[in-house]
Amino acid sequence: MANKHRHSHGDVPVVPDALSAEEAASLAFASDKTLTKHHFTEGEHPIVRIEHLNKSFDDTKVLRDVNLDVWPGEVVVVLGPSGSGKSTMLRCINLLETPTAGHILIEDQEITGQSKTDVNKLRREVGMVFQSFNLFPHLTAKQNVMIGQTKVLKRSKDADFKPPQLSGGQQQRVAIARAVAMHPNVLLFDEPTSALDPELVRGVLDVIRDLAENSGMTMIVVTHEMDFAREVADRVVFMEDGVVVEQGVPEKVFDHPENARTAEFLGSIG
Amino acid sequence: MSHMHENAMTRGESHHTRRVPALALALSAVLVLVATLALLPVSALAMTTNKATARPNEDGGSGVIGAMDTRLTWEGTVGDDEEVSSITLSLPEGATFDHASTRITVLDGLNRTSIDGTATSSGNSVDVQFSEGIPAGSLVRLEITNMQFPADGGDYVVSGSYTTADGQSHALDDSAAISVIANTPLQAAVSWLDAQPWVAAWNSNPFLGMFFKPQLLLTSFASLFPGWLVCLGIVLVCYPFAIVLGLAFAMLKTSRHKVLRAIAICYINLLRGTPLFLQIYIMFFGLPMVGINIDNNVLGVIVMAVNSSAYLAEIFRAGIQSIPQGQYEAAASLGMNGFQTMTSIILPQTVRRVIPTVTSDFITSYKDTSLLSSVGVMELMMFSKNLTTTTGNITPYMAAAIYYLIVTLPLIKVVGIIENNIARSERGGGPRPKRRAVAGASQESEEAKEELATSAEVSHTEEAKPATDVFAALSAPFVSHPTVDLGGVADGE
Ligand SMILES: Nc1ncnc2c1ncn2[C@@H]1O[C@H](COP(=O)(O)OP(=O)(O)OP(=O)(O)O)[C@@H](O)[C@H]1O
Ligand SMILES: [Mg+2]
Repeated sequence: MANKHRHSHGDVPVVPDALSAEEAASLAFASDKTLTKHHFTEGEHPIVRIEHLNKSFDDTKVLRDVNLDVWPGEVVVVLGPSGSGKSTMLRCINLLETPTAGHILIEDQEITGQSKTDVNKLRREVGMVFQSFNLFPHLTAKQNVMIGQTKVLKRSKDADFKPPQLSGGQQQRVAIARAVAMHPNVLLFDEPTSALDPELVRGVLDVIRDLAENSGMTMIVVTHEMDFAREVADRVVFMEDGVVVEQGVPEKVFDHPENARTAEFLGSIG
Repeated sequence: MSHMHENAMTRGESHHTRRVPALALALSAVLVLVATLALLPVSALAMTTNKATARPNEDGGSGVIGAMDTRLTWEGTVGDDEEVSSITLSLPEGATFDHASTRITVLDGLNRTSIDGTATSSGNSVDVQFSEGIPAGSLVRLEITNMQFPADGGDYVVSGSYTTADGQSHALDDSAAISVIANTPLQAAVSWLDAQPWVAAWNSNPFLGMFFKPQLLLTSFASLFPGWLVCLGIVLVCYPFAIVLGLAFAMLKTSRHKVLRAIAICYINLLRGTPLFLQIYIMFFGLPMVGINIDNNVLGVIVMAVNSSAYLAEIFRAGIQSIPQGQYEAAASLGMNGFQTMTSIILPQTVRRVIPTVTSDFITSYKDTSLLSSVGVMELMMFSKNLTTTTGNITPYMAAAIYYLIVTLPLIKVVGIIENNIARSERGGGPRPKRRAVAGASQESEEAKEELATSAEVSHTEEAKPATDVFAALSAPFVSHPTVDLGGVADGE
């Protein structure tokens, strides 16, 4: 603790207080109308609000003043080169990383500075699917899906294979099921197909697409699958160097990027 | 050894039981009379039982074993004014004199008198009729070979009666008790081994006879058994405590609090940095000095548990730290608290990983119980040391080695098997979910509940899926939902 302080004391950016829910909602309503295909109504509040989010590891600034509102049911795809801070942003949303400065609000509830128990409660609201699956290898697929429910929600309801017996695609689908079984309001995907062999990618993307189209669940997806992003995203967010450089509906960002870096990145990806 | 010598002597005597010149006889009669009067002043009036001893028939065995051929030697002295014409000896029920043969030796003073007789045995008694009366004051020795004591073992007295020349029957005093070893199967086996020529040949090899004497190996197994139980008992009782303590210190050592970590580090390093032998001495000699007296076995358990816990703490710590960070993050992302994460995610995986090392440590602890012999715990080493001291033979140590090995060898094997299994399952060994080329959307609902749906077809376009069924859709790898297809693994693409 003392260590952290010494390093970051002088660098902690000073950010304004979080906006009130009403204020934030009306501002977001005004700005996001043109940025997303998702339909939201006036008076609705964004489910995830990221205001002036800053995150440093020791002296490295990874996120600099990130601002983003995500609406209930919206599917946001985050693009960006490696090291741009995409993962870090996701991990801040469910507090796997503690923000250095700024505000994250879920359902208008500030999540930073919460007690431990509240953090655990928050994490039930926000599911996370990892690049490397992170299945529990000592449990079967079924048990992996059920464990969150049985252990955390104290509910019990049972494929009898253990993760090492499954292909990566199967593992990731189990991991998605595990996250969904908690009935989170927001589901975070951190490059869910990056660790998969190319032939396994489609199956997993189909599951995510399925969820996006049918579950009504709010999703923030970090991916390098451009076709998928174009097809599924309500909004595409392009990050670089810890900053949101450009965002908008997929057609706009993909076909007519405003930012030179976005264009370059999309060009390089193909 | 001594009885061999005696045996030889007895044989020698038999050659000397012949007539001696009358003069010498007369002379010695006087001497004997004097001697007898001096030695037996009180009991001179009736026949007395001097002694009754027994030896195994065969050379080699040490004690008298029930229901085994035995040579019983009974000696008595004829009373001063009596002449004995017959003697009946009896033993308790179960003893048998059938097939026995009796040799009579009569010492009249220093002279041997040759007196014949006929022995008639009937079950547990034998009746010896002398061909002529045994004169007063004579010493009678009856050597009865091939008789047997009762199989049960115990202390037996030889009782009996004698008849004098006038036809009167008198009771004999009971002899001192003869200890007889119960004839257990073990004794029978040892006796059988004693009789085998190959065993004799084997034992005649200095190395084999000193390290692997078959008879002693057998008896050692029997006598070391309680010591083996003590070893097993100590290690089996101490180990659960060691595991709990070890786990606690592993947690402390991985704790965020400096003080807790320091405590754990001190505990672990002090115990691992000093010999168990020293720790045993400190506890066994130190505690009584300050007035704390704990039963040896209990203290043995405590010392072993504390010592093992330090090693286990390190094993568990390494095990816990080998679990990837992603496991903690996945648990946290499900909303698990620290305790839930530890008990249902981290520890179960740790347990699997540490089982081989813990088993090895168990083997070490089991062997190390031998150190407790130095402070008087009656364990395997103690028993074998005592037995080696009394027999002057190393075989009891070999028996102890076998007692250690019958526990350690299977465990070593088990460690190997577990290690292979873990390696195999981490490589993803074992059955795989079946793959199916085409989705049989309607008929699969039943069976697919049991297996991962592996359809390569994307069916989400075929049917509309209600949003509420998403959970079912996602659990479709396990519980296939008829209306929603996960799109399968698409592995085959
Ligand atoms: N725990 C950490 N400690 C120190 N630096 C970190 C840590 N986690 C991330 N970083 C750094 O933060 C920067 C952003 O990392 P992040 O993982 O968020 O990038 P990303 O956009 O997800 O990249 P990728 O596409 O490769 O996953 C990188 O430079 C990385 O080295
Ligand atoms: Mg990343």
